[in-house]
Amino acid sequence: MTKEILSVQNVKASYGAIEALHGIDLVVNEGEIVVVLGANGAGKTTTLRAICNMLSTSGTVMLDGEDISKTDTASIVAKGVAHVPQGRGTFAALTVRENMEVGAYTRNDDEVEADIDMWFEKYPVLGERQKQAAGSLSGGEQQMLAVARAAMSRPRLMLLDEPSLGLAPLIIEDLFRTFAQINKEQGTSMLVVEQNANLALEIADRGYLIETGLITGSGTADELRNDPAVQAAYLGA
Amino acid sequence: MTLLLQRILDGLFNGSIYAALAVALAISHRATGRINLAQGEIGLVGAFVALALASPVGAFVAGSTLFAHLPGHPFSLRLATVVAVAVAAVFGAGLQAFVMRDFADLNPQRALNRSIALLICVSALSSGWWGGRARQFGELFPSSSRDYIGIFGARLRYTTIGAWVIVLLVCGIVHLFLTSTRTGLAFRALTAHRESAELSGIQPRRLMALGWAISGALAATAAALAASMSLIDTSLMFRTLIYGLAAVTLGGFDSLKGAVFGGIIVAQAQTLLPGYAGLPSEMSIVGALIVLILVLITRPWGLFGHRPVERV
Ligand SMILES: Nc1ncnc2c1ncn2[C@@H]1O[C@H](COP(=O)(O)OP(=O)(O)OP(=O)(O)O)[C@@H](O)[C@H]1O
Ligand SMILES: [Mg+2]
Repeated sequence: MTKEILSVQNVKASYGAIEALHGIDLVVNEGEIVVVLGANGAGKTTTLRAICNMLSTSGTVMLDGEDISKTDTASIVAKGVAHVPQGRGTFAALTVRENMEVGAYTRNDDEVEADIDMWFEKYPVLGERQKQAAGSLSGGEQQMLAVARAAMSRPRLMLLDEPSLGLAPLIIEDLFRTFAQINKEQGTSMLVVEQNANLALEIADRGYLIETGLITGSGTADELRNDPAVQAAYLGA
Repeated sequence: MTLLLQRILDGLFNGSIYAALAVALAISHRATGRINLAQGEIGLVGAFVALALASPVGAFVAGSTLFAHLPGHPFSLRLATVVAVAVAAVFGAGLQAFVMRDFADLNPQRALNRSIALLICVSALSSGWWGGRARQFGELFPSSSRDYIGIFGARLRYTTIGAWVIVLLVCGIVHLFLTSTRTGLAFRALTAHRESAELSGIQPRRLMALGWAISGALAATAAALAASMSLIDTSLMFRTLIYGLAAVTLGGFDSLKGAVFGGIIVAQAQTLLPGYAGLPSEMSIVGALIVLILVLITRPWGLFGHRPVERV
């Protein structure tokens, strides 16, 4: 039987008087990559933020069978969730290396340095600039840093909010290869919000469609790829 | 020439007080992202606690009867000051954790109101307990008329040297904490981007209280130094706060070094400008304000602060 690492049940969220999520249900099984597709303003970012309790919500969020809907954000992260927010959120005033060290804040083992070096090898730009303030990196470089920093916590579940935003096509492909690799080697489950549906469906096992705060469809990656409605809306077919 | 040098050396003492308060303001601002106008008053409570710890019961200092049961009371002023600095740290942390818990979440306008309210409350507290006449605080360093080092005919007093040793020592410890400990890194991450810090598993509340503890200790150091130079009364730190705010604005809120140099510059402007511009000494604050306005016009992020970079 497959084990659910994340289960979102009837989650609603509002910004002031406006309800942005009207009751979302979705599941990520252990080891899966799940993609969320939806138009601008559909509620993708809000869904990821709700999972980490970054805004007030109703409904239930279960992590590995444990109800985390009342747990504070930092404690959720300490339980093994890494969230790369839309718009990167790098620590501009800290150096690149310090950003990586903060990423490992919840860890207590002695392999942090080795992990940092591994990432610097994968992304040499980051290695070369490890002593520079992260704010001096280009937008794309900061996106790489944000992903690497999140991976530094060795999460069980990664939430990625449009990781390809603003990156060059070749870098995006490389980034998605990295996700697939992390997923395979470390068994990290992933929930990925992505506009780049083609690439996302390539590495994903399953996916959900979200429209104005409601889940309107789901299926395996293949099913979604071959669905005419999905093709028209997200795959530019 | 000797007169000029003497004025500069005299200004250095006040500079140490402003530097300590400016660093305190900068640290509490880093912790909560808002200016804590009660910072000086928190330090003043510390200085009064030191006075109570060092005064015999008959001196009628509020608190001295409370502490009279402690073995060894009244304590030497130096020991009392060290203890009081720790008390001010706990006081600052307590205020942040309980009274000002949501300070960082308020919008700037409401945060300003809250900050002023805290200033009034803490000030009322010390006025209630220690109000009335100004009192002798005592000397922290040898300060008779012979306690100085001569430099080209001018006198660098031991009190000035002692004050700077203390201030630089405390600032050095804070700097080391921020740059070479795990908690210090977490604190800087919180300052840089609160949401991302929480998404890295950092608990903001504890670090905010810690930041206010550090700044409470620094402010109490400033208050004790200011009190040791003149008398202690309940308005002592309100005057000092204006110079401290000028110093930290001058140096930049994000730089400890800047806050220290800001303190020196403000104190020098305070002593030198009125003297040479022929202003009466009651107008000494004008000198500090002129420098402040000049900096705000030319470098709004402060002399040592980092120019904000916006990326698109
Ligand atoms: N801070 C906010 N205050 C008020 N309304 C908000 C806020 N953030 C989002 N919303 C609203 O909530 C709805 C969902 O927004 P959300 O950011 O989740 O969309 P999204 O699917 O991530 O869109 P995008 O693809 O543009 O990132 C939108 O209607 C948006 O206007
Ligand atoms: Mg979004």
